[in-house]
Amino acid sequence: MTKEQWSRRELLQGGAGLALGLSLAGCGVGNQEAAPKAATERVVKAEPDGDLVYFNWSEYLEPKLIKAFEKEYGVKVRESNFDSMQGMMAKLRSGNRYDVIFPSSEWVDRLRKANQLLRIDQAQIPNAASVYDYFAAPWYDPEADHTVPYAMYASGIIYRADKITDMGGSWNDMGNPAADGRAYLLDDFQEVIGAGNLVAGADLNSTDPADVEAAKEWALGLKPKMRGFSTDDIQNMVSGNAWIHHGWNGDVVNIRNQVDKPENYTFQKCSEGIPVGADCFAIPANAEHPGTALTFINFILEAENASKNIEYMGYPMPYTGPDETFAGLVKGDPSINVTVEDLENGQQFGDLGVQGRRLWDQTWTEIKAG
Amino acid sequence: MDGDQGGLSGRFAARALFPGGLWLLVFFAAPFVLVVAVSFGTPAELGGANYGWYPENYSRVFDPLFLPVLARSVGYALATVVLCLLLGYPVAYYIARFGGRRKQVLIALVVLPFFVNYLIRTYAWVALLSDEGVINGLLGESIRFLNTPWAVILGLVYGYLAFMILPVYAALDRMDPALIEAGKDLYGSEWRTFVHVTWPTTFQGVLAGSVLVFLPAVGDFVAAQLLGGPETYMVGNLIQQQFFGAEDWPFGAALTTLMMAFLLVWMVLYLRSAAKAVQTA
Repeated sequence: MTKEQWSRRELLQGGAGLALGLSLAGCGVGNQEAAPKAATERVVKAEPDGDLVYFNWSEYLEPKLIKAFEKEYGVKVRESNFDSMQGMMAKLRSGNRYDVIFPSSEWVDRLRKANQLLRIDQAQIPNAASVYDYFAAPWYDPEADHTVPYAMYASGIIYRADKITDMGGSWNDMGNPAADGRAYLLDDFQEVIGAGNLVAGADLNSTDPADVEAAKEWALGLKPKMRGFSTDDIQNMVSGNAWIHHGWNGDVVNIRNQVDKPENYTFQKCSEGIPVGADCFAIPANAEHPGTALTFINFILEAENASKNIEYMGYPMPYTGPDETFAGLVKGDPSINVTVEDLENGQQFGDLGVQGRRLWDQTWTEIKAG
Repeated sequence: MDGDQGGLSGRFAARALFPGGLWLLVFFAAPFVLVVAVSFGTPAELGGANYGWYPENYSRVFDPLFLPVLARSVGYALATVVLCLLLGYPVAYYIARFGGRRKQVLIALVVLPFFVNYLIRTYAWVALLSDEGVINGLLGESIRFLNTPWAVILGLVYGYLAFMILPVYAALDRMDPALIEAGKDLYGSEWRTFVHVTWPTTFQGVLAGSVLVFLPAVGDFVAAQLLGGPETYMVGNLIQQQFFGAEDWPFGAALTTLMMAFLLVWMVLYLRSAAKAVQTA
């Protein structure tokens, strides 16, 4: 009698657990259907409506500007960082709510198509008016109504000119023996497979199995000479653990700001071709304080603030006025330059398609585990 | 009737289980159901999973590609257990036998590092071990400590040492010191007394410590991520990558489920041995 009751109770408990599990599945993680379009289309005014939940790469925005924003608008900025686009996506996907995120263009494309980004009324961001013409209709956001451009970047090789004297202008310099176990590849599937594709003479975004296989072999060949996979090119270079680092152009400026002999740190654009792209401000569809987010974006784009930001993080922001600050930075070192012409003519990471991305994802796992 | 046996107190005990049970249900059972559900799905656009019935995720786990990863994880975890035992047993022995009035303080010191998050403590090792880090600075050298298997094992030992010390300490503290005196009275040398008296008496504590160290160490990804290099990839890293690197949650969930099954086997073996020890005691 008692036993039967217990077993029924256990059954109920089990059922509750199952139901809970499935409802959790329904309300966040596994939820597949795109967010309702209407909810993302409302016009939000650029008026502070609470604390800002901020989600970005580390060391990618002048921290003093965040302090200044807090002071000027009387709100707190709750800051967290991601170390890969997938990491950002996983956090968004598991139901975390952020007000402002910094996706790169190919991720904007995916997020926007899935209605995961709030519409941004450009009239709310007067400081964005000086943006370059290219960004009036970029491929990833044709109406330019879901993102605001943040910065342009190029991927290549950061290296210590005092340690490595025979760089050959190629991606294969990643395996330069002079680095003596002090080389890092980016911990990013797109960057590594993309570079491998370029070395093999294929298109950056090729999903042809033969090309991807060649890219994999290239990466696996480099692996024994690598010290690690990491996206933290800044700290790896600054700490002296890296002499050669697959990395992003602007980070060289940031590194130079932190070391004793900045002239020893330089950047190589590889002759096989380099990926170029744009990072954007965007507001996730489930943001709680989109008004503060818009205010923040406009604040960062104030010419004076944008200039300070460029000096700190080292990437060009595509706005007339602040771009002069970057021009000043690259005058001494054209190698770190990236221009809107590069974006127009160069190779950008694009949509790989569902099958293509599966292939790249699995290849990436094979590279890391192999 | 079962109920008569325990009477009121039995019913009370059953109720007292409720908060803990609810906790486990909400924070362990439900998420685990979710993990299993995801493990049979397919990767969805933008991460997550489309639910379905795709046992292929499980057959992928047995790709020979992943065998070295598993072997490496088990190897590192076993090395961690051995080192934790070599370091932890003498510490526990000293505190239990000679700690005197300071016992509680000494145990508190063992636990103290746990007040700081494991991730942060591991970052501290990065600063210590870097080529131009604190240790190399003191040595005036530039030895490559970081990003080696040794650094990973060091991180694991450091991270889980207390899990060995505490159960061994408990076993030694419970042990009647008269047993050691008896061993010596019977002309046993210090070493023979240890081998034939102390060690067997505290073996269950060692076993408990070994399991408590092995289980988290074998699934750890932080140590390999921060202190390791490209050749120190562990199962934990493989799983982490499926969620944060490759957008393949179903495969990550399948790996997680099998990993838990693997750990469960060890756990059951341990519990059976512990139960047997209680019976024979």
